[in-house]
Amino acid sequence: MTKPQAFIEVIKTGPGTKIRDIGRKNYAEFGVPPSGPLDPKAVFWINHLLKNKEEDAVLEINQPGLKLQFHDSAIICLAGAKAEITINGKTTYSSGLQIIPEGSLLEVGKFELGSILYLGIQNGFQTPIRLGSRSYSLGITEKEFVKAGDTLPFIKQPTIIDYLSNSRVKWNQDYLKQEKIRAYPGPEFDLLRESQQEQLRTSYFSISNLKNGMAVQLEELVPNELGSIYTAPVFPGTVQLTHGGKLICLLSDAQVTGGYPRVLQIHEDDLGVLAQKKPKEKIQFQLIEDFL
Amino acid sequence: MVDIIPEIKKITPTWWEFKWKEEPSKSLLQKRVLIKNWLVAHYQDELAEIRQGYQCISVIWKNPPGKDFEVIFPTNLPSQRVDEKTWQIPVCYGGEFGKDLDRICEIKGISPTELIELHSNPIYRLEFYGFLPGFMYLSGLQNSLKTPRKEFPDRTVKAGSVGIGGNQTGIYPFESPGGWHLIGRTPITVFSPEENPPANPQIGDRIQFVPISKEEFEFILQNSPKLKPL
Repeated sequence: MTKPQAFIEVIKTGPGTKIRDIGRKNYAEFGVPPSGPLDPKAVFWINHLLKNKEEDAVLEINQPGLKLQFHDSAIICLAGAKAEITINGKTTYSSGLQIIPEGSLLEVGKFELGSILYLGIQNGFQTPIRLGSRSYSLGITEKEFVKAGDTLPFIKQPTIIDYLSNSRVKWNQDYLKQEKIRAYPGPEFDLLRESQQEQLRTSYFSISNLKNGMAVQLEELVPNELGSIYTAPVFPGTVQLTHGGKLICLLSDAQVTGGYPRVLQIHEDDLGVLAQKKPKEKIQFQLIEDFL
Repeated sequence: MVDIIPEIKKITPTWWEFKWKEEPSKSLLQKRVLIKNWLVAHYQDELAEIRQGYQCISVIWKNPPGKDFEVIFPTNLPSQRVDEKTWQIPVCYGGEFGKDLDRICEIKGISPTELIELHSNPIYRLEFYGFLPGFMYLSGLQNSLKTPRKEFPDRTVKAGSVGIGGNQTGIYPFESPGGWHLIGRTPITVFSPEENPPANPQIGDRIQFVPISKEEFEFILQNSPKLKPL
């Protein structure tokens, strides 16, 4: 059954806006990154509240300045970062369900806490599926990013069902303040000297400006003599150490193999916490060394 | 002689890495593929994902294995795969398709014909895919063609471009930035995200580059730009 399609028009957007779903699971052997959401818990919560399927696609927003024109009425849900949101100029919450009347203008302003906001819609966005996922990805989908002028298709609902029984459920934003990031020693952790290992265990690191869907680079250096390794698998959450001592925390758009030593592997439940950090914010790794 | 049995390292409750210490070689690649195939055959239901590098296989289990769970490899694996394929990739070298070819010839002190021969004579092996979707890490580049990557990467490299970077050669699957020296281009599509699987050569397969003229390039591009096994 084909349902009538409706559209949101993107009037304006900052860099990095993407359509995301749970990502591509089975194509890493062909070099295809998973491209799942950077903060999966927020997306799960959104789809749950919207009574969507877990794999329905949402909009991932990393920058203030987004302006969306709703050409049709819609039920949306927001979660993730705490940001200034207005609908037709009127301030509203940046989490939870909203009914958006036809013709409305939704604007995303300053991010107060966290750095990634998700906008989900009833039944998910209907951009094309490539290799089992709608997640935007270089070389896989036609577009790598959402741009001004794009139209984002969704399925128009004939009636608005009673969603508002869920409307008072609160998105808990405490995790956006969490500084501890649990991590396992990576495959090359053992090659580090004791003092370098200790630095990873105890020091605070700050988020640098170099941050996108592929990776977050940390500011403080870990001087090392390791050099390169023979190119080996890497995953979202792998922390690489470059020759120059930079720590690079890989995220869901990262390539599937890499040639830098893999010194840590971030716990999957804490990767979203790291991805939500803004430049200059601090983290501290908490090593899990006795899980066996 | 490469030990067939790799070391096992448990990185997280669900990520195990099987690693050989030997330098990458054709025989290590063969053993890696045999072990990978054995893992897939024996643990199909338990495996979420397998990724490979030159010296290792990374396994992601769907659920953390129990304390008593062990992977014990058989010692009587066949010594060679029987289903290895050879893929021929037509390449138009030099000119507008390989803008860095002349410079590489100059650095190496060889003629374009010599470079084309040196590049298209060997049989390369697909070690694994990485860097970009559909990008093949190939081993087998002649020592004399090794060239450090560009200091300043090109902002856009056209799809199908064949390049040399360090001790590797490869094909850019789609337009992207890139730091390798471009010596030619193939009219063949090596990666199609609309299809499943998106690429056909398997890890361990043989890859050959076949020099073609500009006319042949245009002809293949118009007709059947798909990769077929030999």
